[in-house]
Amino acid sequence: MGSAAGLRGDLPLTGADCFLRAFDHEIRRMNGASHVSQLVLRLGPGFDALGFRRMVEEAARAHPLLRAPVARRFGLGPPVFRLTAAARCPMPRVEIHEAEASPAQDPPLPALFFSRLNQPLSLRRGELLRFDGVRYAGGAAGTDLAASWLHLLFDGAGSERFMRWLDECYRGQRRLAELPDPDEIAPDRSPKPSFGERGRAARAWQGWHDAMGTRPPRSLAGPLRRTPQALRYTVHSFSEEETGRVVDAAQRGAGFLTPMLFYLAAALRAHHAVFQARGVDAGSYVVPLPVNLRPKGGEGAVFRTHVSLIWFQVFPEQMNDFDGLVAELKAQRVAAIRAGQIENGVHAMDFARLAPSRLYAHMARRSLRGELCSFFFAFTDGFLPGLESFFGARIVNGFHVPPVPPSPGSCVALSLRDQRLNLTHVHQRGVLSERELAIFRERLRADLLG
Amino acid sequence: MTGTTQEELTQRVFEILRDGLLDVGDDFTPRSNLVAAGLDSLAVTQLMLAIEESTGVWVDDSLLTPEHLESAESLASLVYRQLQGS
Repeated sequence: MGSAAGLRGDLPLTGADCFLRAFDHEIRRMNGASHVSQLVLRLGPGFDALGFRRMVEEAARAHPLLRAPVARRFGLGPPVFRLTAAARCPMPRVEIHEAEASPAQDPPLPALFFSRLNQPLSLRRGELLRFDGVRYAGGAAGTDLAASWLHLLFDGAGSERFMRWLDECYRGQRRLAELPDPDEIAPDRSPKPSFGERGRAARAWQGWHDAMGTRPPRSLAGPLRRTPQALRYTVHSFSEEETGRVVDAAQRGAGFLTPMLFYLAAALRAHHAVFQARGVDAGSYVVPLPVNLRPKGGEGAVFRTHVSLIWFQVFPEQMNDFDGLVAELKAQRVAAIRAGQIENGVHAMDFARLAPSRLYAHMARRSLRGELCSFFFAFTDGFLPGLESFFGARIVNGFHVPPVPPSPGSCVALSLRDQRLNLTHVHQRGVLSERELAIFRERLRADLLG
Repeated sequence: MTGTTQEELTQRVFEILRDGLLDVGDDFTPRSNLVAAGLDSLAVTQLMLAIEESTGVWVDDSLLTPEHLESAESLASLVYRQLQGS
């Protein structure tokens, strides 16, 4: 834990930040929005909205990164968070909205949360983070709170740690003077490779990705297109009993520490079911799996993105045998780690720090003929484990909403909260018809529950 | 790596975890719980690859139950049995 007091000047973005910045640039240019991620908390009564607003402002005053513009120095060189310019930027917005209590046991999410995914935030003006709370019956019937942020200020794990940290400050368990050091990154235990070695590693990663282009995928949305971003999402919470069954099947089928491959197989087959219903050949299915690079065991970094990617490619003819599909994903994952592709990915994304965003986004889509992948997928395991309340209100449920560009236009994310599995499906309007959505959900649920 | 004793294997697993894969302090011992110490899906696969490199035996993820991940000692015991059976 360092001190924010020592933070002055510029803080460089990580390679993964720059990789994501390229997609932010693309979405801004083509789809009129930003690469926005969301963390949603469904809270019981008692949320201290004023205390929360005050804490966010105090944090942003003490911690310039929360509202620092992102730009290249003099238009050249690697992009940086311009910490010295942060004081001139507005505070992160905290808007509290009022709504009537819903009679439903599991009330629908506010439409406002969807719209926040489709509105641009400005990197240049330091608009990196905003909060929207919807209080039901003045808060007496609970509050829904959404943190929407550009996916380079945090990644999913970092956003959870930030929310936990805010609450610990509120409860007096942590002081604002002891802010997490934004410069903390995963320690590199090996000697730093030479420029040439890093170049070879990056080319190996690029070559791996390019090879998938021999049978390129087709996403549900189709290749990159100029269309307004109109994302929405649904969240399905499995019951405790169902969650027990799903988790058990996932651990038995894919491994105690690698259940995500079971979930990924189910997500693949759900997309395949839609292609089958359309009578369209998907070509192949290509999906990246984010890998958390934080040191294992420590508290880990809060700010910036600390991930690499493992790419999977499977084919329509492999979709009929669920167990065989899981085995194939397991084999591909081990082969990728064995080949050093996680480290190669870090070096490849590091080159994004030097390349113009437009060029980098173009390179990422070039080998798959305009597609980035078939869909996005994430499994973040326990959601804020051990944190029972947030600013005085019990956490009833909580989950992540990952960002997804209009192409591929579909993302499946899973996490666990209080022995319940939450499945978030983010999709671009028009990518799935109502009938296709029903097919998608039915297939996914059937595979998860076995 | 034939002729390796279980104690030597335990020490090897412990050192790989302590020095290369986990961010742990002096209180980490061969009996510390690995999941609680931060062992995750990436670290466990990297550990299995390191073990394969030194023993020639690949231990599939599906064999890694919570009981085997209880400690470096219990994990080494699993690897040792695989080594004996190979």
